[in-house]
Parts: sequence; structure tokens; C-alpha cells
Amino acid sequence: MTMTRGLRKFVLTAHVTFAVGWLGAVAGFLALAVAGLTSQDAQMVRAAYLAMELTARFVIVPLSFAPLLTGPVLSLGTPWGLFRHYWILAKLLITILSTIILLVHMQPISYMAGAAAETTLSSADLREPRIQLVVAAGAGLLALLVATALSVYKPRGLTPYGWRKQHEQRTVPPAVDAAT
Amino acid sequence: MSQTHTKPDRGSTYSTPRWVKVSAIIVIVLVLLFVILHLTGNSLGGPGGHTPSIEYWLQQP
Repeated sequence: MTMTRGLRKFVLTAHVTFAVGWLGAVAGFLALAVAGLTSQDAQMVRAAYLAMELTARFVIVPLSFAPLLTGPVLSLGTPWGLFRHYWILAKLLITILSTIILLVHMQPISYMAGAAAETTLSSADLREPRIQLVVAAGAGLLALLVATALSVYKPRGLTPYGWRKQHEQRTVPPAVDAAT
Repeated sequence: MSQTHTKPDRGSTYSTPRWVKVSAIIVIVLVLLFVILHLTGNSLGGPGGHTPSIEYWLQQP
């Protein structure tokens, strides 16, 4: 199943937009998490955690699910395939793991936003969960940067499945190949 | 040129690329480190995982 050139370009545009948008949103989230952790201004800390919850719920979560749809559609609609090359498989795993870790952290983010809305947080309050959010955002950003680099560099390497498929295609006689 | 990026890998015998092996080792080490930190209660979220740790800290005076 191969997509037409126009459809492939459309899905590719959507995929790049979602993936890069996700990366940018996580970078913004990390800036807010650092501000929430280090700022001495109580109003800044409150604003940071409230903004973090809104950003996570309405921007980062939707942007994390979108590439899970466009990525497989794009790879399955082109000769690259979804399970044939290690770099595509690695990107898929990074996307799935990042989405799961993000969903796990939604509850702590909501707790922090609730605490920030109800009380004035000093720099000593809820110290460990605040550090945890900075570390999680930093790790997420690093994982998404790796996924972006994989898309650009496309390191060589076929999976056993991809190698078998390639071997099968090469052993099919041209006449039969043309007929299928 | 860019053709090298779009051509599938060729070879008569199968072998896992070095970058895949190195990446797998790094991932396994990170996962083990994460699990050990959580089991020993030294994770950044405090004892008991994400949500309980937040509740734990919310209950502090």
C-alpha cells in the first residue's frame, strides 16, 4: 500500500508539524517548570504551575497523540514500512514511551496546579515534586530531540523483519514482481 | 548523495548495527537505574511513586 505523492506530502507536513510542535511545547513547559522551582516571586510560581497544567492538558497531550497516528500512517504508506528499519522503530518506541510518561505525570501536574491555586507556595514547599517535574520535562525534551535527530540522520540498519522482506523482494523474479 | 539515505541496507548476512546495540545498552542501564532508585526510595518523586509522593508532600505541615 503506497500513498500518492500529494497525500504523502500532506501527512508528512502534518507529522512534522505535530512532532516539532510537541518538542516546542515541552521546551516551554520546561521553562515554566524551572521558573516554578527557582523563582522567589510567589505570583510567578503560582502562574507557572497554573500555566503548566493548561499547557500540558490542552497542548502537549494532544500533540503527543497526533504523531502516534501520522507516524505509522506515513511509514506504512511508503516503502520505508513501520518495522523494517531500526530508526523508525526507535522513533515509535520513543513516542509511545514519552506519551505514557507524560500521562503518568498529568496527575502530579494537576496536584501542583491545585496547590498553587489554593495556597501561596514558598520556595521550600513541595520541593521534590517540583524537581521531579523539571527532570521529567528535561528528559522528555531530550527524548524528543533524539527522535528528531533520528528523522534527519536516518541511521542505517534493517530489523530482522526488514532484512527478510528485502531478501524476499530481491528473490522474486521481475515478471512476477511486475504482475503483482 | 541523498540516495544513500533512501536505499535500503544491503548485505548477504544479517547483523544488528552497532548504534542499535549501543542505544539498547544505554536504555537498559537507564531503566535499571530508574528501577533501583524507585525501589530504594531515592527517586526524585519521593517514596511510593508519583501520585503518593505528591500526596505525601501535600500532607506535610
